[in-house]
Amino acid sequence: INQHYDESLDVNDSEEVASLYTPTPRKPSPGIVTPERPIERGGPAPPPLNRMSSQQSPSDDLDFDEQEHLGEGQMDRKLSQPPPSGKNIDLNEESEDSDVSSDDEDEDDDNMVGLEGAYDPADYEHLTVSQEIKELFQYITRYTPQSIELEHKLKPFNPDFIPAVGDIDAFLKVPRPDNKPVTLGLTVLDEPCAKQSDPTVLDLQLRSISKTSGVRAMQVRSVKDADRNPKAIDTWVESMADLHRSKPPPNVHYSKSMPEIDHLMQEWPREVEELLQKISLPTAQLDCDLPKYCDIICSLLDIPVYKNRIQSLHVLFSLYSAFKQMQHFQTDNVQE
Amino acid sequence: MILSRQKPAVGGASALVREKEKSKEKKLPKVDDLLTSRDYTGAMTVLEFNKQAGKGEKDTDSWIGFCAFHLGDYKKAYEMYMNLCKQPGCDANMWLNFSCCCFYLGMYKEAEDAALKAPKSSLQNRLLFHLSHKFNDEKRLMTFHKNLQDQFEDQLCLASIHYMRSHYQESIDVYKRILLENREFLALNVYVALCYYKLDYYDVSQEVLAVYLQSYPDSAIAVNLKACNHFKLFNGKAAEAELKHLQEISSSSFSFASELVKHNLVVFRSGEGALQVLPPLIDVIPEARLNLVIYYLRQDDLDEAYGLIKETDPTSPQEYIIKAVVNAALGQERGSREHVKIAQQYFQMFGSSASECDTIPGRQCMASCFFLLKQFDDVLIYLNSIKSYFYNDDVFNFNYAQAKATTGNFKEAEEVFLLVQSEKIKNDYVYLSWLARSYIMNKKARLAWELYLKMETSGESFSLLQMIANDCYKMGQFYISAKAFDVLERLDPNPEYWEGKRGACVGLFQLIIAGQEPRETLREVLMLLRNSTNPQVEYIARVIKKWGKENRVAV
Repeated sequence: INQHYDESLDVNDSEEVASLYTPTPRKPSPGIVTPERPIERGGPAPPPLNRMSSQQSPSDDLDFDEQEHLGEGQMDRKLSQPPPSGKNIDLNEESEDSDVSSDDEDEDDDNMVGLEGAYDPADYEHLTVSQEIKELFQYITRYTPQSIELEHKLKPFNPDFIPAVGDIDAFLKVPRPDNKPVTLGLTVLDEPCAKQSDPTVLDLQLRSISKTSGVRAMQVRSVKDADRNPKAIDTWVESMADLHRSKPPPNVHYSKSMPEIDHLMQEWPREVEELLQKISLPTAQLDCDLPKYCDIICSLLDIPVYKNRIQSLHVLFSLYSAFKQMQHFQTDNVQE
Repeated sequence: MILSRQKPAVGGASALVREKEKSKEKKLPKVDDLLTSRDYTGAMTVLEFNKQAGKGEKDTDSWIGFCAFHLGDYKKAYEMYMNLCKQPGCDANMWLNFSCCCFYLGMYKEAEDAALKAPKSSLQNRLLFHLSHKFNDEKRLMTFHKNLQDQFEDQLCLASIHYMRSHYQESIDVYKRILLENREFLALNVYVALCYYKLDYYDVSQEVLAVYLQSYPDSAIAVNLKACNHFKLFNGKAAEAELKHLQEISSSSFSFASELVKHNLVVFRSGEGALQVLPPLIDVIPEARLNLVIYYLRQDDLDEAYGLIKETDPTSPQEYIIKAVVNAALGQERGSREHVKIAQQYFQMFGSSASECDTIPGRQCMASCFFLLKQFDDVLIYLNSIKSYFYNDDVFNFNYAQAKATTGNFKEAEEVFLLVQSEKIKNDYVYLSWLARSYIMNKKARLAWELYLKMETSGESFSLLQMIANDCYKMGQFYISAKAFDVLERLDPNPEYWEGKRGACVGLFQLIIAGQEPRETLREVLMLLRNSTNPQVEYIARVIKKWGKENRVAV
């Protein structure tokens, strides 16, 4: 903070500052304060709101290399036009510089006069003061204040982001292999419709209809960014549900005789029910291996176990599924 | 009581649905039906299924290529056609299909080679016509132009070249002529709408587009264009809503134009996600590079911005503007005259072009050009004509106030400077020095002094001090001038600062006598004088004290 008006001033610091930045106004020629361009055109006319008919003015020096890239076309015509209101922009660096320096000289003398509200000693001549003070007043004009040129900085405007609309159909398209005429690009844009089939779902459908499954391995796709794409997952689940619903329910033929599911669903004897109020069925935590546990559960549920447990387990899960679908138990679950 | 129940309470709706679906799905979907509904993904799946099942016909691959191409999966189509072309005894016209794929994949040289292997045809001519445009070969372009015939495909192809070359009115003429006799060619309405969009007639574009959207509300191209029109007419939010709707109605396997949509979502969200989305789209979507540059400009990352744009030769108006802006920013930052000169030229080329001279960006460009040329009267002409659009724009006001101050209109300069909100601009030395000067010229030197006091000690604060001292002197604001010279003299015991301070102190004395400064200030005059060791101090102080005594002012 520059509060160094009082005496507490760090001398070292000040020397540093002073030596680093030699004062600029020492130069004999003062800079521009109010650069008025030499009038070489009849007063600037503001650009009209409608299309400006640009006065033709010689602008041969506007010949930029860049125009060659545009080829002959509208852009050429556009860009070689002189600026509106027929102003000539001096693109020549040297002449621009000389312009500036001539400006300097022009303004040197009228710097003080031209400034509105500038100090004018004549305003104070009427003061009645002693000769001594009058002489003192001469110190005021003895110092000529420097004109200090300030830098300009153009902050370029922020261009807006540019949306992309794409290009127009150029009719560079492959024809149908049967060479039938197509109206793509004429009656309808040559673009796929938004509702494209899901290839995996369609493939599964084709397999199920044509019964030729097993011909080749399935292509398995995955959903990209699944966490952010719940719609894709929902659609997938739904279409899979549809597909399976349309399939006939699977039949399993047991090699050994199995009890009917309905039979298995009958109530337990009263004693068992009562017992189950007090103790619960053995859980999977039971200290035995899995096959043993399967055997225990199956026997509890009256499911016979033969050599192969798979079929018994199938009965077990069918039973579970049957219970699950029973309305009676569903409401029970809800209450729980 | 409800007597019109339809859903059976027992047996479930699912049974009903199942019946329906069974009848629907039992038959194999036909490729032709899928093609008619432009479900190319579906058609391709069926074709591939048949092929795998050994039921494919000899042109199945050709059909798969056709589907892939129209689906926009040019890479797959490219592979299919490449294999087909390699087969012995293949139709030479197959090379044209291959050429089309190469064209859309941006492999123009390969596209040309392939096209030339096919016998002459109108498709071949169209391909070579567009390729000459890509190669900037005007002579060949004219040759192929002459070969175009009076058939829809050729005429529409010509119209698309007009569009590529920014001759939008010529394109519109072609489309309107064809539409006049072929009302059923609805797609042409979209093409016309695209041209109007490019001509900045967004409401007209919207109107023409509506004709198509009425029949095809799920068209990605049309909905995207609608979103862009909304962006220009309203705002990013309205535009985003349109794209969101498109995403909702399209199935997850629909990926056509997805790059365009992703790109535009960044645009509509003012650059959100630019760094993730835009880099891979560079040179795929022409606007992506420009938008990334704009993004970097907004982040003040000039190096990245310049690195992206330095190699490009501008051809489109937007490219001119962005190259100009980057060069202007960089040139001023680095003090590079070369960059400033390039910027000024590009600003002028854009701003003086027939199509842009009356647009807001066009005038911004002209103003910027004159600003860099330091022709501030001209800057004002252009800025005045657009200022109503930028009342609260800090960047605009910063430039505008500088131009006002430089041309001597300090009163308005001060007002405009004070509209600036950005702290970054307000701490810029250019802002501070010009505002200080405006204060002084408006006889508010104390406010200028306060600006100085708030600055950290630096080379800039020293420069500001010099400006304040001298400008205040010029304006007869001797109190602040004396204070400023006093500090200057202490920082740098240069005799000139003493002379300035002496004059300013006497000037302040004069103001006190004239009754323009309070008499109590006399004490401060003496204090300021006594900070100097110059032998003249004693004499001047004596005269001042004497006057004080005579006029009963305590010193």
